[in-house]
Amino acid sequence: MADDTFLSDDLLRQLMSVGEVDLLVGISSQFAPSTIGHAVQTIEQAFQQYFVRQRVVIVNMGCDDQEHSQDGDGVVATSIDNSQEKNVRLPGIVSLRTIHQVSAKFSSPPSPGIALRTILAVADLLRARAVAVVSPATSNLTPDSIANLLRPIYQEKFDFVAPLFIRHKYQGLLVRNLLYPMSRAVFGCGIRELYSDERGFSGRLAGYCLNQEVWQEEAIRLRPEAWMAISAFSSDFRCCQVFLGEKSPATRGPGTDIVEVLRQTVGTLFWCLENRESSWLDGGKSQPVPTFGPSQELTSEPTDLDRHRIFEMFRSGVTELEPILSSILDPETHSEIKSIVSIEEAKFRFKSELWVRTLYDFAASYHHAVINRNHVIQALAPLYRGMTHSFLAEHANSSPAEMEAANEMLCAEFELQKPYLTERWKARVEVKS
Amino acid sequence: MTLQRDNLWYKDAVIYQLHVRTFCDSNADGIGDFAGLTQRLGYLQELGITAIWLLPFYPSPLRDDGYDISDYTSVHSSYGSLEDFKAFLTAAHIRGMRVIIEMVLNHTSDQHPWFKEARSSRENPKRDWYVWSETDNRYPGVPIVFVDAETSNWAWDPISKSYYWHRFFSHQPDLNYDNPAVFGTVWGVMKFWLDLGVDGFRLDAVPYLVEREGTLCENLPETHAIVREIRKRLDLAYPGTLLLAEANQWPADVRAYFGDGDEFQAAFHFPLMPRIFMAVKLEDRKPIIEILEQTPEIPESCQWFIFLRNHDELTLEMVTDIERDYMYDEYAMDKSMRINRGIRRRLAPMMNNDRRRIELLNGLLMSMPGTPIVYYGDEIGMGDNVYLGDRNGVRTPMQWNSALNAGFSMADPERLYAPVISNAVYGYQAVNVDSQERFEHSLLCWMKSLIQVRNAFRVFSRGALQFLNPSNHRVLAYIRQFGGETVLVVNNLSSSAQAVELDVQAYKGYVPIEMFGRNLFPRFGNVPYLLTLGPYQFYWFQLRRI
Repeated sequence: MADDTFLSDDLLRQLMSVGEVDLLVGISSQFAPSTIGHAVQTIEQAFQQYFVRQRVVIVNMGCDDQEHSQDGDGVVATSIDNSQEKNVRLPGIVSLRTIHQVSAKFSSPPSPGIALRTILAVADLLRARAVAVVSPATSNLTPDSIANLLRPIYQEKFDFVAPLFIRHKYQGLLVRNLLYPMSRAVFGCGIRELYSDERGFSGRLAGYCLNQEVWQEEAIRLRPEAWMAISAFSSDFRCCQVFLGEKSPATRGPGTDIVEVLRQTVGTLFWCLENRESSWLDGGKSQPVPTFGPSQELTSEPTDLDRHRIFEMFRSGVTELEPILSSILDPETHSEIKSIVSIEEAKFRFKSELWVRTLYDFAASYHHAVINRNHVIQALAPLYRGMTHSFLAEHANSSPAEMEAANEMLCAEFELQKPYLTERWKARVEVKS
Repeated sequence: MTLQRDNLWYKDAVIYQLHVRTFCDSNADGIGDFAGLTQRLGYLQELGITAIWLLPFYPSPLRDDGYDISDYTSVHSSYGSLEDFKAFLTAAHIRGMRVIIEMVLNHTSDQHPWFKEARSSRENPKRDWYVWSETDNRYPGVPIVFVDAETSNWAWDPISKSYYWHRFFSHQPDLNYDNPAVFGTVWGVMKFWLDLGVDGFRLDAVPYLVEREGTLCENLPETHAIVREIRKRLDLAYPGTLLLAEANQWPADVRAYFGDGDEFQAAFHFPLMPRIFMAVKLEDRKPIIEILEQTPEIPESCQWFIFLRNHDELTLEMVTDIERDYMYDEYAMDKSMRINRGIRRRLAPMMNNDRRRIELLNGLLMSMPGTPIVYYGDEIGMGDNVYLGDRNGVRTPMQWNSALNAGFSMADPERLYAPVISNAVYGYQAVNVDSQERFEHSLLCWMKSLIQVRNAFRVFSRGALQFLNPSNHRVLAYIRQFGGETVLVVNNLSSSAQAVELDVQAYKGYVPIEMFGRNLFPRFGNVPYLLTLGPYQFYWFQLRRI
């Protein structure tokens, strides 16, 4: 019953005043309440520049108190300005309609999952045709980027829009070496940015996701983005990508704690493998996703990553976690891992074939819960560091094109070994207590 | 019934706009006339009309629907005689209805004897009654009004071999108000009609009376001086005579024509009208609120005149390009419905003959601040004929009954000045006064009750306006207050049922009484007042402290 009433009476009263809408933009000020004003202004500008005729609403998920706010400067903004008669007016351009603003507060400790679920519910109740979710902390949020997320849904009848960004060539290594190639191989989902704060989706997809029995899951509470993208792709919703320009620095999440990063991203991906098992276990090859604008741009800038330290952490981690790795990895894989640990740093390479097999072992072990799932993810950390070291060494002088080619080869390797994952996934295993 | 002496009568009026030609033909020549109009005054009285605004009925070549006058002190022979007009005027007054006539001060027809004399030679005494030039370079940059038809504000006169100034059609030369004789003569014309008993003038094309080099020749101080002089003379000799300005401009610009209460008493609120249509289509009160918030205060004795439709196109001059495109897309997808910068359609077809929307718009018209004008035929939901050219599609014969020519005329149909509307939806067989008078739920009967309620409460005509701004933007709610009268108006602008919570704390303890059925609603208390409204529904509540 509690599930049925997760929207507050106050929010329902606000929705009653809004009525049916064409476009909805959701923002969560949980992580950056101090920038909510700017974000709202940017969204209003997007509406005024590009959607002057449409029925529109801005939905803000805010925190009730300072304890729940996770903004660096501690400023709390629980609601956006509701003076709806006074929307920001651009010179010479005025929306024909009122730009509605709705504020919702977290009734429980705030989380991205609760924020998304609320936005989905609002979209469903208001029968929104197109929805965009953006982060107020995104420093380069522009009216154009908001419009780019909404347009494919509203005008081209797509159901899901994922962003693409200009990235520094060493930025987003987890995406490049794990999340993207693995989700592409397993689900056939060619969406690069599964974990972006920005995305667009249709009211139809919102309704579909809202009705899934996933909202109490830890993975969804923490990072629902990838699940939504994978759900869209694997349920035959029309998906596309749009180029949004430069990727602003990560503004939320676990920061530099690699284990926490892996838990929230790889953990969610492994959970999705389980949750969406029927869509991939006997599935075919990956499908390209239509892309509006450049597919991806890379820039080369100096990096201050300490490769030696990364390598040392790989080595020590693999050694310390050997008993755990032996329960996760296939013996052959484990043996190869142990052998590369002893290679001197200058000659060290984590080959793609081994990396993919390692990950598939981890995914299968996560599925079979051979040990506590958190420990499975934790044990991946040193191996990811080893892969990162290898990548940095291999591509120290690579051009963007060379890096893209290498990434395509990695993706191909993931696809090639997918039967191995399937086999291990289906295998009966003895769970160690 | 006789007219009550009240110099502010125009504030409380409900005005009916008509062209004599369109209303009723008494002599079977296919053209409406004053005798026919006089016969139909009972209909207007019963409708609740308190003033009639007549479109031009003067002798004219009729190249601009009568706004090209060739004789200011007579009646076009098609419409009858001056005696017929006098009889009409007397009859209207007896029925308690005042009469407002058109006065075109800015220009005459080129067939007017004044212009014929003026162009006959450069030495003619009337030469200086018009604005002449040896070149067409004077007053550069002055906008052309009828851009579809004219390329310059100057026209070459081959007779006197010089250019004359015209802000409108080239067959409408502008009078020269720098010549005192012109003003004197025009005042004489106005006196002529005032002595017959007319109650007011709608002054056509007011902003353009005077020309000055280096200006846009609009809204000049000299023009205001002329208006003030007319008003002064009226107040002195004919107190209570209405001067109504036609100035299709933003309210802030029109405001100047009210002066300090010493120029016009009334002016049309042009920008409000398209925004009412827009608000209903958008299902959002924003356009109405915005324009009324931009509307300046006017002197106590003055009044805005508001309307939904009139004899011209639904003008889209006073909207932004984005708004104009939207209006075209929503109300005039068929390009034949567009003319100049507007839409040549009647109210009912624009509302897709949706009775609820027609009622809502009329409800807004009758409850918003200002004096409402009903365009003839809209009270029965008449249709239009966009294929008649120009704006003639909204000027077709009045539909009285389902008999020959809709009861408008006994002439052969071929003789009618314009064909009656005869399509399946809006044709006179389906839409006519006679049939609507027969059943109490007709649009006509509903209009009568609407006007009756409006006329019973001065708060509608003179009351202050306060928007309530509930969070539901599909609902437009406002309080009208005048003396001890307080009225709450709540309009659902949308096509779906709506709930709205109204902040009526200021009226805590008041009992709302629905004004059409006189039913009591629950008393206002401490919490927001919850109302639900069906699609396009509106409520008028009298608020009483009982």
